[in-house]
Amino acid sequence: MNRTLKPFAFALVALSFFSCKKEEKATLFELIPAEKSGVSFENKLTATDSLNILEYLYFYNGGGVAIGDINNDGLPDLYFSGNQVSNKLYLNKGNFQFEDITEKAGVTGDGGWSTGVTMADVNGDGLLDIYVCQVGEYKEIKGRNKLYLNRGDSTFVDLAEAYGIDFKGFSTQATFFDYDRDGDLDLYLLNHSVKSPEVFAKAINRTNSDPEGDRLFKNLAMEGERGFVDVTEQAGIYSSILGFGLGVGVDDVNNDGWPDLYVSNDFTENDYLYLNQQDGTFRESLDSLISNTSRYSMGNDLGDLNGDGLPEIFTTDMLPEDPAIWMKSVGEDKSEVFQIKKQFGYSDQYVRNHLQLNQGEKGFSEIALFSEVFASDWSWSPLIFDMDNDGMKDIHVTNGIVKRPNDLDFIQYSQEIDPSTAMADLRKNQIELLPTVKLPNYTFRQDSSLHFTNQSLAWGLDQPSYSNGSAYADLDNDGDLDLVINNLDQPAFIYRNHSDKTENKSIAIELKGADLNPFGIGAKVTVHSEDKSWHQFSAGTRGFQSGSTTPLVFGLGKISQIDSVTVRWPNGNFESFNSLAISTKNSLIQGTGKTIFENSLTSTETFDFPTIAWSHVEKTEVDETKREYLIPKSFSSTGPALAVGDVNKDGLDDVYLGGAKDQAGALFLQTTTGDFIPNPSPIFEMLAKAEDVVAEFADLNGDGNLDLYVGSGGNEYEAGNLFNFDRIYFGDGLGGFSFIPNALPPIGENTSTLAIADFDQDGDLDIFTAAAVVSGDYGASPKSSLLVNQGNGFFKDETFARFGQQINFGMVNTAKWSNLTGDNQLELILTGDWQGIRVFEKNAQQTFVEKSVAGLEKSSGWIQSLKASDVNGDGLMDLITGNLGLNSKLKASEAKPVWLYHSDVDGNGQADPVIFHYMGDKLVPFATRDDLIKQIPSLKRKHSSYAEYAASSTPADLFSAEVLNQASKKAAYEFRSGAYLQQQDGSFSFYPFPFEGQLSPWFSIAWDEKSKQVFLGGNFTEYRVDLGKNSAMAFQSFQFENGRWKSSNLKTQIPIQTQIRSLQKISVTGISYLIAVPNNGSPIWVKVD
Amino acid sequence: MRTIKSLLLVGILFIGFSCQEPVDYSNVITDGHYLNEAQDRVTQVIIHDIFSPPVAARIYSYSSIAAFEVAAATDPAYASLLGQLRGSEKKEFTPSDKVYPPLASLAAYYTMGTAMIFSEEMMNEHRDAAYAELKEKGIPDDVFEASIAFGQEVAAAVKEYSSKDNYHQSRSFPKYTVSGDPGTWQPTPPAYMEGIEPHWNKIRTFVLDSAAQFKPAAPPAFSITAGTPFYELANEVYLAAKSANEEQQNIALFWDCNPYKVNVKGHVMFATKKITPGGHWMSIAAIAAKAAGADWKGTAEAFAMTGISLNEAFISCWDEKYRSKLIRPETYINQYIDEEWVPLLQTPPFPEHTSGHSVASAASAYTLGQLFGDQFHLVDSSEVAYGLPVREFDSFSGAAEEAAISRFYGGIHYMPAIEDGVTQGRQIGEFIWSKISTKPEKLASKN
Repeated sequence: MNRTLKPFAFALVALSFFSCKKEEKATLFELIPAEKSGVSFENKLTATDSLNILEYLYFYNGGGVAIGDINNDGLPDLYFSGNQVSNKLYLNKGNFQFEDITEKAGVTGDGGWSTGVTMADVNGDGLLDIYVCQVGEYKEIKGRNKLYLNRGDSTFVDLAEAYGIDFKGFSTQATFFDYDRDGDLDLYLLNHSVKSPEVFAKAINRTNSDPEGDRLFKNLAMEGERGFVDVTEQAGIYSSILGFGLGVGVDDVNNDGWPDLYVSNDFTENDYLYLNQQDGTFRESLDSLISNTSRYSMGNDLGDLNGDGLPEIFTTDMLPEDPAIWMKSVGEDKSEVFQIKKQFGYSDQYVRNHLQLNQGEKGFSEIALFSEVFASDWSWSPLIFDMDNDGMKDIHVTNGIVKRPNDLDFIQYSQEIDPSTAMADLRKNQIELLPTVKLPNYTFRQDSSLHFTNQSLAWGLDQPSYSNGSAYADLDNDGDLDLVINNLDQPAFIYRNHSDKTENKSIAIELKGADLNPFGIGAKVTVHSEDKSWHQFSAGTRGFQSGSTTPLVFGLGKISQIDSVTVRWPNGNFESFNSLAISTKNSLIQGTGKTIFENSLTSTETFDFPTIAWSHVEKTEVDETKREYLIPKSFSSTGPALAVGDVNKDGLDDVYLGGAKDQAGALFLQTTTGDFIPNPSPIFEMLAKAEDVVAEFADLNGDGNLDLYVGSGGNEYEAGNLFNFDRIYFGDGLGGFSFIPNALPPIGENTSTLAIADFDQDGDLDIFTAAAVVSGDYGASPKSSLLVNQGNGFFKDETFARFGQQINFGMVNTAKWSNLTGDNQLELILTGDWQGIRVFEKNAQQTFVEKSVAGLEKSSGWIQSLKASDVNGDGLMDLITGNLGLNSKLKASEAKPVWLYHSDVDGNGQADPVIFHYMGDKLVPFATRDDLIKQIPSLKRKHSSYAEYAASSTPADLFSAEVLNQASKKAAYEFRSGAYLQQQDGSFSFYPFPFEGQLSPWFSIAWDEKSKQVFLGGNFTEYRVDLGKNSAMAFQSFQFENGRWKSSNLKTQIPIQTQIRSLQKISVTGISYLIAVPNNGSPIWVKVD
Repeated sequence: MRTIKSLLLVGILFIGFSCQEPVDYSNVITDGHYLNEAQDRVTQVIIHDIFSPPVAARIYSYSSIAAFEVAAATDPAYASLLGQLRGSEKKEFTPSDKVYPPLASLAAYYTMGTAMIFSEEMMNEHRDAAYAELKEKGIPDDVFEASIAFGQEVAAAVKEYSSKDNYHQSRSFPKYTVSGDPGTWQPTPPAYMEGIEPHWNKIRTFVLDSAAQFKPAAPPAFSITAGTPFYELANEVYLAAKSANEEQQNIALFWDCNPYKVNVKGHVMFATKKITPGGHWMSIAAIAAKAAGADWKGTAEAFAMTGISLNEAFISCWDEKYRSKLIRPETYINQYIDEEWVPLLQTPPFPEHTSGHSVASAASAYTLGQLFGDQFHLVDSSEVAYGLPVREFDSFSGAAEEAAISRFYGGIHYMPAIEDGVTQGRQIGEFIWSKISTKPEKLASKN
């Protein structure tokens, strides 16, 4: 293909036609008008009394697009499906001109309600056939799925019945793939239920198959027979009425050479991740690999976004981006509904787009919030492709619904109407009252590693529309991917991509497969260039009700040359093709490449880690949201406690593990063979009621034996409750411990952290014991205490004497003693929720004053863990922080902090913690109006509707000046984790971790001085439902080199979803390990050297 | 005491234009018309603001007490309730001669009602229209102002009394935590709303010694085994619902009184709202007062006593609901009998035992019987505004019994909740009338 680079002025000319008021700017994508393209297809929809959104729940789901070259002339042709209008087949005549050949081709859809469409060579004759899904018999709709077989002369014949796939039901989409690798294309048929989705049935009912459910059909072509046979049940595919299938994608998710499936289900039912078992069956594996999914999952796409060869999974949902829509729309499940769904057996789901980052066998990290692709309004079709050929794949998302049913004013207030209205009018009114909002689609451009920004406006893809299906293909063979979108009540969009006029290069790969799969569906193609590689999987179905079966186009950025292209063919054969030219289309014929023999991927290095026979068992009986409706997170699951030390002086590290409520702490003594032997103590059993959350070994009474300090929390009991008391167990140097109750003053807070050191340099160890939360009053400052050793292991609370009567430590999550300034005096460093890193310096009178430290002024966030170490080896102490991270709905910056307003707004004796965050330039409450009203009923008087509430843009729109004045206001400016590096002048500069360090909150930090490595353990699932669980990364390690962080690529087996609460270095039989203790689980080991 | 003006003045009234001249406005308000209208508006606002049945009963009762206290303060034939109700203190009001009592009573009602709801604008709009109409009828400005001021003064005293009933504090009490124990209440389809007002028994009663004073019989022991009493109760609901005839279904729908029914069609969801059980009985009180020819004072009395009965009924009933925390028939039947079964009425969001409608209806009916005689031809048009027909009854107790059994036909209650609920309600009614009175002579006989 000969491609000429046109002068840059070209686009300007093309677009200057109708510009009357403002000058049209040349954009990367150009909308080709119907008059020019000849594509006049418009999915016009008319609601009637008998058929409308109340009568058919998917009335507005619209149609799809399939792209493929049906006449093998090298130009991809277009097929659109329509609901109440005829489907259309357009022949590509070149230069973005198309000819409608629907009638003579015989592919109208016969007046049925068509949904998804796919092109695939079903009979393996080298011609693309068209499979059209339809709604079967329902109300006035009559139809059945069509298999339009290509006769080779641009005419088709429907042989669905003859092939046994003329399914009659509620089909959404089909995908053809060779699941059994026998050489022909099998069919997964995605269907949706119409049973009332609002009444929850037990999730186990998904094993009850129903004729209306999803189907897997095996193609018998390779067996020499014409047609398909239904293998749904024997293959382990669910086909129950719980499935509201809206998206199906195929890719090799686990990189084993066999195609896997991802199915997105609307409503309560989980999505399904089917892993191909290589024996004709699938294993549904969602829960073990994926933490949470979209709730109203719509379309999906699978594609490798970060170049590691493993496909990510993107699913769409309906979260609006605009606060004025968000705040008046139905949001996350109320916490009780979330709990009920769990009880029924469903997995965690949130109403937003989800991006599952594939981390191999450890599972997926869900990172849509980090990536900022979580909100694109009522969304349908996501497509992962490199839109600008810069070498980084982007995500395009279509959206729009003509009638918006999740509007809270509609739900709550629309039905207060004149009771004399007739029933028919009432229904009509109901539909008319549904609000209408037309928005542009979203174009998420990957601007840096897995981070995206919406470029719809800049790229010319910002036309408001109700868009459903979409597909991409290089329609003019110029080396970039053009975009085609099926719209409701508006002509289809044909966007021409002008990336060919930029400096970015690309390469197109056309696959010529073997057997009865001449288009090579299911092949995985990798383009290699030096240290980079790009991966694509050839699948004919993507997004929503759509797909393209066309050559694969790889954007390469500025690269001018590639090394090779490798193809894993659908049958598993692996071949390499060399000396391929970029900026052109290369045909790769199966069997003509150089065969590659793969190294066995399953060579798992077996290593015997130490074991400790103990498992933390969390009690889930405390639900703080029942008591504090607005609390953003739970404090009742912060354990277990972990302490490491040689208690019996045999030179071996021993371990104490502190249990949850009603679970006794346990001491394990290490033997010379590296075993850990329990050393039970009746005193631990007696005090099992306390929830141990922190512990540390230290010689507190100076007798040369390690003693054990255990701190209790749980946020269940009021301050001063017996079970909240911290405890000291005095060690006998042999592994035995005795408890002396009055060694500590009776404090009884929710202990969060300990810092033990001889701050007053009098030869004994003193303790700073801190608390994060006042039980029942999130946002208030609990009591944290300085306990001064009386020389004998008995402690006196000298907080006020040393810090003054007015001291307010705030919500403290972590505290450390460190000689920060190098003056041989220890400073107390602490931080927590809503406060920066605070440094308290000791003066000559042995009392403390808070010191203002340059560079830490805006460090306030939700820092969970802190470590003082010399990170960069310059001899100055630095501060490593484990913060909330960036994979959260809460986004903070210096200019736009997140605010906590804490005040008893309504004077009912309970303080109200209201979190405000910026959405755009508006500072709006994070909680929903319903939750706010539950906590502060008087707020209901303030706004007469949700719309009025959603229009608020400052706290003053909610609260009176009086209330605002007396509220305590705390800001969070920084949620990133990283290190504050001390400069020569004593100031600090922040070096955040790279993105792998921002995907989850870090609860524990360990530092290895020898290798200058930082180890991070995290994840936390107990945020309020609105925020959602965050279990995207359990463990990471970094090194600081040449002024920047780099991942130290420490290999671990820790499953992605593990919630690590504490991480410590430990030596076992002379080998350095990290011991990581998870909430509700057993200790996990990481080998350090 | 107000004197009757001469006939002459009536003539002047018809001459019309002379605003300065004194006018006889004494008959501008005679019956309960304006009070009824005001109560209708409170009902509409309760519906709009989505107050639950117990909270609605509280709103009705305090608003009505305020209206009645004006009658008691201006007519010696009535005895003030302040001083009789628990935690209240006797209060002497000294209305000036300018005060026109029925207008003051109306003002007291509007003031108190508005203080207890959210959508104040809806109330104010209605009040202003009523005031404008009354002014038009010739009530002089000074009389008007004095009457409004007095009504507000009385309302302020009632409001002060209401402020100590623990309602405000109860807004921050913990929400109900669903336990996984079999047999305990769980949220129900389609909205799976949390259990409402789990601490309503901590609201101060008007008359009852405590929320638990008329603790009903406990429900039968939970069991999932066919043949056990509990299973049979659930099965009885299931079978009755399946075989309910048209009349039974009409009865169920007539007494549905669900203030917040959630309708779901795929992604489309909307609430349809009706009056609460309390709203229905307050409406019956209005209909009865009118049919009995009661004047505004008699109407205010009927409202106050019915409101008090409802309030006590809901506190007593809710005390039992969150004591027994019993599973709803819908949950039980779906789990153990028929997974697909949906009751005719939408299950309301709180535990089963006892039936709130049964308790409230029996208590209100007893009270209305005391006021107007139980045998009463009641033409109940309360639900017409909500698209339902008129039903007629020969007695208040007959209406209450039908309301009670309607919950069984509707598939939302087991039989004991209805039978025990009716007993509970009647006990409450009897106790109220044995303790307090709106008539000085009866009051004297109690002391």
